[in-house]
Amino acid sequence: MEAVANNQLVSIEKPEIVAPPNWEPVIIGILCNWCSYAGSDLTGTSRIQYPPNIRIIRVPCSSRVDPWFLIKSLQTTADGVLVSGCHPGDCHYITGNYFARRRFLVTKKLLSFVGFHEDRVQFSWVSAAEGPKFAKVVAKVTEDIKKLGPLHLYKKENFDK
Amino acid sequence: MARVGVFVCFCGANIADFVDVNQVVEEVKRIKEVKFATNYKYMCSDPGQQQIRDAIIQYRLTSVVVAACSPRMHEKTFRKALFDAGMNPYLLEIANIREHSSWVHQKDKKAATEKAIDLVRMAVAKSIANEQLHEISVPVTKRALVIGGGIAGIQAALDIADARIPVVLVEKSPSIGGKMAQLDETFPTLDCSQCILTPKMVDVASHPYIELIPYAEVLELEGFVGNYKAKIKKKASYVNFKTCTGCGACWQKCPVKVPNEYNMGIDKRKAIYTPFPQAVPNKPVIDAEHCNMLTKGKCGICAKVCEKGSIDYKMQDEIIEREIGAVVVATGYSLWDPKPYEEYGVGRFKDIITSLEFERMVSANGPTGGVPIRPSDGQVPKNVVFIKCIGSRDEAKGIEYCSKICCMYTTKHTILLHHKVPGSHSYVFYMDIRAAGKGYEEFVKKAQVDTAATYLRGRVSKIYKKGDKLIVRGEDAQIGQVVEVVADLVVLATAVIPNKDNPDLARLLGVSYDKYGYMSEAHPKLRPVETAKAGIFLAGCTQAPKDIPDTVAQASACAAKVCGLFSGDTMKKDPMISSVNNEFCSGCQNCVKVCPYGAIVTEEIPMSRGSKEMRTVAKINEGVCQGCGSCVAVCRSMAISLAGFSDPQIINEIVSI
Amino acid sequence: MDYTKQIQEIVAKLFAEDKIDVFAGYRMTGFDENQVPVLIQSSGEVSRLVFNDKSVFNLCNYLKYDHTRNKRVGLVVKGCDSRSLNLLLTEGQVKRERLYIVGIACDGVVDEQGNKMQNCEECMFPDALVYDELLGTQHPEGKYKVNSDIKELASKGLVERRAYFEEIFESCIRCNACRHSCPLCYCTKCCIDQETSKLYNGANNTSSAFHALMTWSLHLAGRCVDCRNCEKACPSHLPLHLLHKWNERVIYENFQEHLSGVKEGDRGAFYKYSLQDPDDFIM
Repeated sequence: MEAVANNQLVSIEKPEIVAPPNWEPVIIGILCNWCSYAGSDLTGTSRIQYPPNIRIIRVPCSSRVDPWFLIKSLQTTADGVLVSGCHPGDCHYITGNYFARRRFLVTKKLLSFVGFHEDRVQFSWVSAAEGPKFAKVVAKVTEDIKKLGPLHLYKKENFDK
Repeated sequence: MARVGVFVCFCGANIADFVDVNQVVEEVKRIKEVKFATNYKYMCSDPGQQQIRDAIIQYRLTSVVVAACSPRMHEKTFRKALFDAGMNPYLLEIANIREHSSWVHQKDKKAATEKAIDLVRMAVAKSIANEQLHEISVPVTKRALVIGGGIAGIQAALDIADARIPVVLVEKSPSIGGKMAQLDETFPTLDCSQCILTPKMVDVASHPYIELIPYAEVLELEGFVGNYKAKIKKKASYVNFKTCTGCGACWQKCPVKVPNEYNMGIDKRKAIYTPFPQAVPNKPVIDAEHCNMLTKGKCGICAKVCEKGSIDYKMQDEIIEREIGAVVVATGYSLWDPKPYEEYGVGRFKDIITSLEFERMVSANGPTGGVPIRPSDGQVPKNVVFIKCIGSRDEAKGIEYCSKICCMYTTKHTILLHHKVPGSHSYVFYMDIRAAGKGYEEFVKKAQVDTAATYLRGRVSKIYKKGDKLIVRGEDAQIGQVVEVVADLVVLATAVIPNKDNPDLARLLGVSYDKYGYMSEAHPKLRPVETAKAGIFLAGCTQAPKDIPDTVAQASACAAKVCGLFSGDTMKKDPMISSVNNEFCSGCQNCVKVCPYGAIVTEEIPMSRGSKEMRTVAKINEGVCQGCGSCVAVCRSMAISLAGFSDPQIINEIVSI
Repeated sequence: MDYTKQIQEIVAKLFAEDKIDVFAGYRMTGFDENQVPVLIQSSGEVSRLVFNDKSVFNLCNYLKYDHTRNKRVGLVVKGCDSRSLNLLLTEGQVKRERLYIVGIACDGVVDEQGNKMQNCEECMFPDALVYDELLGTQHPEGKYKVNSDIKELASKGLVERRAYFEEIFESCIRCNACRHSCPLCYCTKCCIDQETSKLYNGANNTSSAFHALMTWSLHLAGRCVDCRNCEKACPSHLPLHLLHKWNERVIYENFQEHLSGVKEGDRGAFYKYSLQDPDDFIM
């Protein structure tokens, strides 16, 4: 409790977990190739600055995102996950994001049910033209997850090969 | 054991100024699989690529990671560098440390460097799970199927055939020509429709590369791009086209009279008939529904008068098959039935007709010899009211969309009326005048001046009869008053709607369609003629309402797409597509449901080696799969893998941070 | 609810007319008052069959194993069981013409203490939805009720829920009995056993149980029919229905009232979509 008094960050779900000094969350960003990845590239070419916590993984389509990528991310390395795809109706693969949207909702709700704050996994639609939006989304997700504190779900050592 | 080489680019100052590239190299060297790591000012330059090529050979690398700009920028460049060094190009991974780090964290070099290290680490981990991939080549049958012989189908067929690619043109009615053959003059130039269409129709019939199959329908289409097989039903025409000379003796003598579809039922045709004088092929068919011989077994006059003995009452439908590589769907449109407009007295008042009926009347080869008449008494009308947006832009009774062509053809009708009936006057009730198109606005303006037609902006609320006249009551919104117009004839500009069987045909072809029944293009802006199913293209109103110039343009675009598809003996395809591991597939077929391209089919395989018992598994059609990975994510048993983005690759990335 | 006699008669007739090769039903354990599933091969065994309110297990589970594959199978299904059967039919795991289905218009079954099972109290489809022959009087279709356990749990705080489920994940011994007892877990090779999963899973610990149970429940989301075979099979007595009922609720409330297996041809919620699906949780 002393740590809390010193204004240190604790996990919102498990107060025993206290963030080390200067803790920065790790966020995994899974982006679809055609809209959001291109959008994130545009953020770069426009030199729009955003927090450096996100680590980006490229997938062809948001429909490629199996819910267990999210589970695995939280279980191993990430304090939060952002998945981003094309806006509904704009999917490069026509209907991919509609199927993905269903899985995302259920995964998010399930994680929240078993005790992970809803904001640990977040979703966005970012088009290839929305460079500024991508920066805003990342800033928001980073801020949200900083508030939630460290996740430290199960010790990382368990997963080393 | 994986041997990874890492090449970190400065990108001049773009990366090096904001990311400590030396530290990145030092850090990644600690990863045990990394056997070589270096950095260079411009990795994409020739000397940069040379370093990669040399290191591949010197350090016997099994995969290469380039930490530089976005893979969307230089993935191809570096893949080629790998290829030139004798390595499979798909063993490359790119860590995007420019767009994703140096450019977006310019105020915090430490954080940017840490992030860059993580991104490289992820790319290294992913590359370890990379597999050698090889470009897929799919053989192509160089023959196109065009469904529908209207102007869209005719144009597409001619353009493809002119490129010396064989075309099979299937038309469901006895003659090609479609709706355009029913038109008199065409906007905005008022050139005669027949004059510009019939030469093309004749070209189709005589083209050495076109096989015209009239009076036929496509029953089945199986296969995939470049390798389709179409089953076509040739409906029994009861006339042997090979021997028939088209002399016309048969239909002149035929005793049965049936409403003539070509003339919108205004006059009659015979039970054996050619749809119109310029029909191609100009051979009659027997309408089995009305022929006395076929329905009652009595008559046989046509067979008696036919000198060639071409009449065959025992003819049966025939199913033929054609192997084809691509399909152009050009099935056209229908017109909306205005029956729901009860307040207009549609159906009750004979002198309310549709635009196409009017078109037939004013047509030189029409049933009334080119002069409009009132169906009730045969008088030539003086005052004609044209009402636009009948069914269009009317969510309550019709459809939401604008039919696009009605403004223009109604303008044309006012001109035709002005020309054909001296002293006549047109009244046009309209919501807006939409005249976007080359020469369209000018056409409308000129017509308004020349015809002195009265344009009334507003909806018609009621039409009633007074004596032998029709009184059209509507609002003139511009003066804000209810007006009543005494009309001899009312012409309804009915909406363009998709053919009733469009959804059936779409399903048969495996193409998606929208809520109205129009077939859907692959992308509304960038792929307007392709469908989501590779090798199937859309021309004309089967996709959405459009006028003749747009239809012809789209048809030619289809032809260009087909020619492009057929430009080689095989099609090259990106190998980053899905594949099924039969061992793990339990055949639930959920992947079939989520595939947007219909690329997944099922096959029966023996339960175990040599077993007679069979089980069902999914099978990915390499020619069709576009590599989205939808199927991979829904496959619970992980039997499907997407090359380039496989589960091990992505999990490696996740856990390596 | 006791259809022992009727079922025995039906099965005897089916064997006599050579309509089936095996029949899946229930028999008494022989050592207590409870029942276990039984697969009988001949008319001689018909007298072993019973059916009453203790006939709890979902017999569709038999259909995924080799001893029924490519055989003509007869089986008894209650409402919930018939929903899983519908899914098995839809997902191509069994062929309808190979089945003879004795449907039950079920009044609800009881647990070992003789109390009516919770899922029966909340059951929407007590009557078999697919059958060749239906026993009992049909019930009106029930209304959707949110499961009382998840309602209670959802009202608790995040910290409490996290602690509660961490306890569950810790108690899981990774025996996979839940998977084996689930009629819809028919995969030739479960993803959890595959290299990709194993590699990063570690051994039998909280973390691997988290991965396994979460993945498992998401694979059953929009498919689970709430038969509770898994819960009965679990040696650690984990309240596994919580995960499934929660998913069912989320799916029902968000995806056009989807309920799994209600009719043949209707696939799980993840294999279709609607333009009306919620989008407001996405930035």
